[in-house]
Amino acid sequence: MSTAESEVARSTNRRRIRNGALGLAGLAIMFYLGFIALLVFRRYH
Amino acid sequence: MANAHASDTAHHDDHHDQPATGIKRWLFATNHKDIGTMYLVFSLIMFFIGGAMAMVIRAELFQPGLQLVDPVLFNQLTTNHALVMIFGAVMPAFVGLANWMIPMQIGAPDMALPRMNNFSFWILPFAFTLLLSTFLVPGGAAAGGWTLYPPLSLQTGDSFPMLIFAIHMMGISSIMGAINVIVTIMNMRAPGMNLLKMPLFTWSWLITAYLLIAVMPVLAGAVTMLLTDHFFGTSFFNAAGGGDPVMFEHIFWFFGHPEVYIMILPAFGIISEILPTFSRKPLFGATSMIYAIASIAFLSFIVWGHHMFVDGMPLAAQLFYMMSTMLIAVPTGVKVFNWTATMWRGSLSFEPPMLFAIAFLFLFSIGGFSGLMLAIVPADFQYNQTYFVVAHFHYVLVPGAIFGIMAGVYYWLPKWTGHMYNMTLAKTHFWLSAIFVNVLFFPQHFLGLAGMPRRIPDYAVQFTDWNMVSSIGGFCFGASQILFAVVIVQCARGGKKATAEVWEGTHPAGLEWTLPSPAPYHSFSTAPEIP
Repeated sequence: MSTAESEVARSTNRRRIRNGALGLAGLAIMFYLGFIALLVFRRYH
Repeated sequence: MANAHASDTAHHDDHHDQPATGIKRWLFATNHKDIGTMYLVFSLIMFFIGGAMAMVIRAELFQPGLQLVDPVLFNQLTTNHALVMIFGAVMPAFVGLANWMIPMQIGAPDMALPRMNNFSFWILPFAFTLLLSTFLVPGGAAAGGWTLYPPLSLQTGDSFPMLIFAIHMMGISSIMGAINVIVTIMNMRAPGMNLLKMPLFTWSWLITAYLLIAVMPVLAGAVTMLLTDHFFGTSFFNAAGGGDPVMFEHIFWFFGHPEVYIMILPAFGIISEILPTFSRKPLFGATSMIYAIASIAFLSFIVWGHHMFVDGMPLAAQLFYMMSTMLIAVPTGVKVFNWTATMWRGSLSFEPPMLFAIAFLFLFSIGGFSGLMLAIVPADFQYNQTYFVVAHFHYVLVPGAIFGIMAGVYYWLPKWTGHMYNMTLAKTHFWLSAIFVNVLFFPQHFLGLAGMPRRIPDYAVQFTDWNMVSSIGGFCFGASQILFAVVIVQCARGGKKATAEVWEGTHPAGLEWTLPSPAPYHSFSTAPEIP
């Protein structure tokens, strides 16, 4: 693998890591806000 | 351009070949080993702080009547003992072990997100300074139990917002740690290491990390709603305003039960590494072990109602939670039988990690069996809020989770420091711990069955004898943990040189044993090839 190819591979990996981390963080925030929203909904219905 | 970039990268890497010196090394640490060390040292300090609280609790319970502390302080101590031990000692210890071992086990140079790793650690000292300082504010620390049930927890004094903020910080730290573990395992494994070739400790952490991401936000949401009930006039859990306190219990235990498995699954992983090494045999049924961990993790989401049987719930719900809880015994049984089969006809040797692993196997099973007793609805009506429950979860968490951590530390310590530790002292630590943990917690089964309620500083005289025995066990168990710290400090300072394989039975299992001892500052700068 040439240096250029390894750089591409490395940046692809970096993107996967970033997207994975953001996706999981989004999931955590969704659980947090989701449970609060569920209880707000339950409180008024 | 690419070459120039590569040269830049090489130049950049040069700066990180050696650790920085002084306080900067720790404050700005991005190396997984440094951060792992900080987590482990932090958790040891918290273990002793939580342990000191336990010593005061056991001293007060040594005899009936009020001797040392008033009932309010007693309740504050029980509440904060739990919070410190769970969020300060056990969880950070496992994150520390994950930081040290996961990159080394999967052939990666470091964790995927090193700066976030630094941040997730450094939140913790602030969170626990905040939590422990609640003892100093008017009204004292939280005293309503670690479960924070309203309306009791809403009666906490000025420390209430500090407690809630501290819990949020602990949650954020855990979530960031979990994200790091998942993206590291999913993206940074060495070529050829497919998921089924991954070591069991890494597997157990992958599943634990998903559990953390699923449930820590739920706890954060619940305590945020407590905060708004307390300060902003909402009535999520306030019955007077039309809210539902039982709803808090549901939400809390939706977090709380998987939390129990967050504290035990990595220990399962550690035991699955140690038993094959000291039995000199491969792990029996390795794939079924992975499925068992995953099954336990799944079931942990559907059993929370067993904590609330006495709240009153429909018969169908009681049956569902009883059956689903009992179902957990199946994958747990698979694990226990696989561990036993691993040792069967093995060439066993009994170094400290193996001793702790075997004690784990026996004593965790006792905690598991008392859990099955508690899962039976009519029996639970009898046992609920008694010392039987205290005995049950302490058997799961002390000779379960904490012995698992100690086994892991004794297993990998020579790899970390490059020195063998004092075996005699470590074995003494084991025997004292194993004997006195039973003296401490086994009599609590009898007290519970006889009807002694938990979370009280005083009790009827008929409970005196077993409380005295339990307290003596507690003092001796607590004192014997000083040996643990002594062994670690001695080993860090020097000792007989450790080989790369450290233990005779490790070869060829596990990439970490291919590295020299101590492991170099950067584990695998070139990814190893896995056949």
